[in-house]
Amino acid sequence: MEGKRELAYFILKRAALSVLVVLGTIIIVFLISHYLSKNPAALWAGPKARPATIAYVINRYGLNKPIWFQLSLFIKDFFTGNYGTDPVTNLPISYEIFLYFPNTIELILTSLVIIVILGVGLGYISAINFGTKKDAFIRILYTGAWAAPTFLVSILAIIIFSSYIPVFPSGGMFSAITIPPPHITGLSILDSLLTLNFPDFVDGIYHIILPALVLAFLNFGIITRISRNGILGVKWLPYVKSARARGLDERSVNRRHILRNGLVESNTVIAVMFGWLITGDVVVEEIFSWPGIGKFAYTAIANDDYPVLIFIVIVFTILVIVANLIADIMYATLDPRIRLGGEE
Amino acid sequence: MKPFLKKSIDNIKIKSEHFALKLKRPIKKSVEIVMSNRLSATGFVMIVIFVLIGIAYFIFGNHVVPYNPLKINLSDVNAPPSIHHLFGTDQLGRDIFSRVIAAIPVDIGLAVFIVLISAFVGLLLGTIAGYFRGIVEEVIMRLTDLFFAFPPLIMSMAVAATLGPSLFNAAFSIIFVWWPPYVRLVRGSTLQVAASDFITMSKVLNTRFSKILVKGILPNIATTLVVYATMDIGTAMLTLSTLGFLNIGIPVYQPELGIMSSILTQSLYSDPLEGLIPAFFLFLIVMGFSLMGEGMAQIIDPNIRSHLFSRRRRLEEMKKSNKGTSKTVE
Repeated sequence: MEGKRELAYFILKRAALSVLVVLGTIIIVFLISHYLSKNPAALWAGPKARPATIAYVINRYGLNKPIWFQLSLFIKDFFTGNYGTDPVTNLPISYEIFLYFPNTIELILTSLVIIVILGVGLGYISAINFGTKKDAFIRILYTGAWAAPTFLVSILAIIIFSSYIPVFPSGGMFSAITIPPPHITGLSILDSLLTLNFPDFVDGIYHIILPALVLAFLNFGIITRISRNGILGVKWLPYVKSARARGLDERSVNRRHILRNGLVESNTVIAVMFGWLITGDVVVEEIFSWPGIGKFAYTAIANDDYPVLIFIVIVFTILVIVANLIADIMYATLDPRIRLGGEE
Repeated sequence: MKPFLKKSIDNIKIKSEHFALKLKRPIKKSVEIVMSNRLSATGFVMIVIFVLIGIAYFIFGNHVVPYNPLKINLSDVNAPPSIHHLFGTDQLGRDIFSRVIAAIPVDIGLAVFIVLISAFVGLLLGTIAGYFRGIVEEVIMRLTDLFFAFPPLIMSMAVAATLGPSLFNAAFSIIFVWWPPYVRLVRGSTLQVAASDFITMSKVLNTRFSKILVKGILPNIATTLVVYATMDIGTAMLTLSTLGFLNIGIPVYQPELGIMSSILTQSLYSDPLEGLIPAFFLFLIVMGFSLMGEGMAQIIDPNIRSHLFSRRRRLEEMKKSNKGTSKTVE
C-alpha cells in the first residue's frame, strides 16, 4: 500500500510540473514572437501585408498595449483555441491543427513501435556478438543511419521503393479511389479497423509503411546504442558468470539475465527520442505528402504564415512534454527505484 | 599568509582521474587514441579531408573552385554532370561542384560554432549548478528542464522565422535549443568530481574556485564533454541543414548543403541528382563526425573499456598459443 501512495504522489508531482513547463513554453514562445523581432506587427501580418492588415493585426494581438496584456491575450487565445484564420484555406487554424494532428500521431507511433523492435533487437545482437564482424556491421549501420539527412533517406526510399521497384506508394495516406473511414478516433487506421473496413485498413497500412520505416530508420540508432551499451554493462558482471556456473544454457542466460537488466537504460531515451522523431517528421511528411502537422508547418513556412507556425510550435512542444510525462509515469510503475528518488 | 605556506598551496597538484589533459603531448596523444580504433580513425580521416577543403576555400575563396558559386547563368540551366560541370548545374545555372565546395566551410563552421557556444554555456551553468548546489542549482536546472522539453528543430524554426534569414540567426536559433544537454552532462560530472577527496582537500586549503574549476573539475569532465561534442557536431549540422531544407533562417542564395538539397521537393523526378549530390556530401561529413564520436565513446566508456582491453589481451594470448585461425577484434 505504501508503494501505491508513493506512486500516486509521484504522478501528481510530475503532472503538476508538466503543466508548469507548458506554461513556461507558452511564455517563451510569446517572448520570441513578440520581442525577438524589431517589428512584430510586420512579422505577424506577413512580409507583403497592406497597412490596413497591419493595423488589424496590431489591434488583434494588442501589439500597442502593455506586455502583460499581450501575454494574457496570447495565453487566452491559446487555451480558447482562438488562433485566427488560415489566410490560404480560410479555415480556422485550430480546426486545421485538430484535423492534421491524429495523422501525425499515427505516423509517429507506428515508427516508434518499429524503432523499439528494431533498435532493441539490433542492440541485443550487437552486444551478444561483441567484437565480431556482426557487431561492427551493426555499429556502422546505426552510426550511418543517425548521420543520414532526413531528406536524403526519404528521397532515396521513394526512388528505390516506389520508382525502380514499385512496391510502395510514393505518398499520401490512402489511394485516390479509397473512401477514407469515418472519423471516430481520428487515427484512420484504427478507425478503419473499428468499422471493420478491411480494404481501408490494408490500404492505410500499405501507405504508412514507407514513411514510418524511413522515420524509424533515421532514429533507431540511439536505442541500439543505448541498449548495446546497457547490455555490455551487465554482460561481464559476476551474476551472469554465476548463472553460467549453475549450468544454465547460453540462450537463457542471454535472454533472462543479460537482456532484461541491460534494457533498463534504453527505456530512458524513448522520451528524448520523441523530440527527434518530431524533428524528422516535418521533413518526412512534406516529402511523402502525409497530411499531418509537419506538412502543415512546411506549408505555413512557404506561405510566410507566421501565426500558424507559432501555434504549431507550441502544439509540437506540448506533444513532447506529454510524451515525457507518459514515459516517466511508465518507468515509475515499472521501476520503483525512480519514484523512490535515488540520487544520481 | 606566510610565504612557505602560500608556496606549498600552489604546489599542490590536483590529480585528474582520467588521462585526457594530463598527457605530455596532448595533441599527439589524442590523435593516437583516435587512430587506435578503426571506426574513429575512418571518421577522423573523413573529417580531416573535409576540414582541409573547407579551410582551403575559406582562405583562397573562389580561386580553388572552377566557377563562382553565386554566379547565375541562365543559358546553362539543369545541365547534367560533364567535364565542364563536374556535378552539373542547378535550376539557375550555378555550378553545383563549386557550390558544394563553398558550402563545406559554412556547414562545418556553423556546426562547430553552435557546439562550442553550447558547450561553453553548458560548462558555465553546469559547473556552477554542480559545485554550488542549493537554490542556484535549482534555478539553473529547472530552466534547463524547460528548454530541454523543446523539440530541437521546431523551436529553432520559430526563432529563425522571427529573426529573419542570416547565417548568424540560423546558428543562434539552434544554440537556443542546443545547450540544455550540455548543462546536464557537465552538472552530472561535476557532482561526481566535487564529491571526491581531492576537491574537498583543495576546498580545505582555500583554493580559489577558478583554480579548482580549471585544474580539478575541467580535466575530469573534458573526456566526456569532448566525445559528446564530437558526436554532436554532426547532429548540429543536420539540424542546421534541415533549417536550410525548409528554407528558413538561411539566406536563399547562400551555398549551404541543406538549402541546395531543398530543390529535391520540386525536381524529384526530373533531375534528382541536383539535390542528391549536396545531400550525399552532407551525409559524408556528418558520418565522419558520428564515426569518430562512436569510436571514441568505445575507448572512453570505462564500463566497456576495462573489459575490452582485458578481452583483447586474452585474445592476443590465445593467438600466440594456437597461431591458427583467430577472431578479429577491432
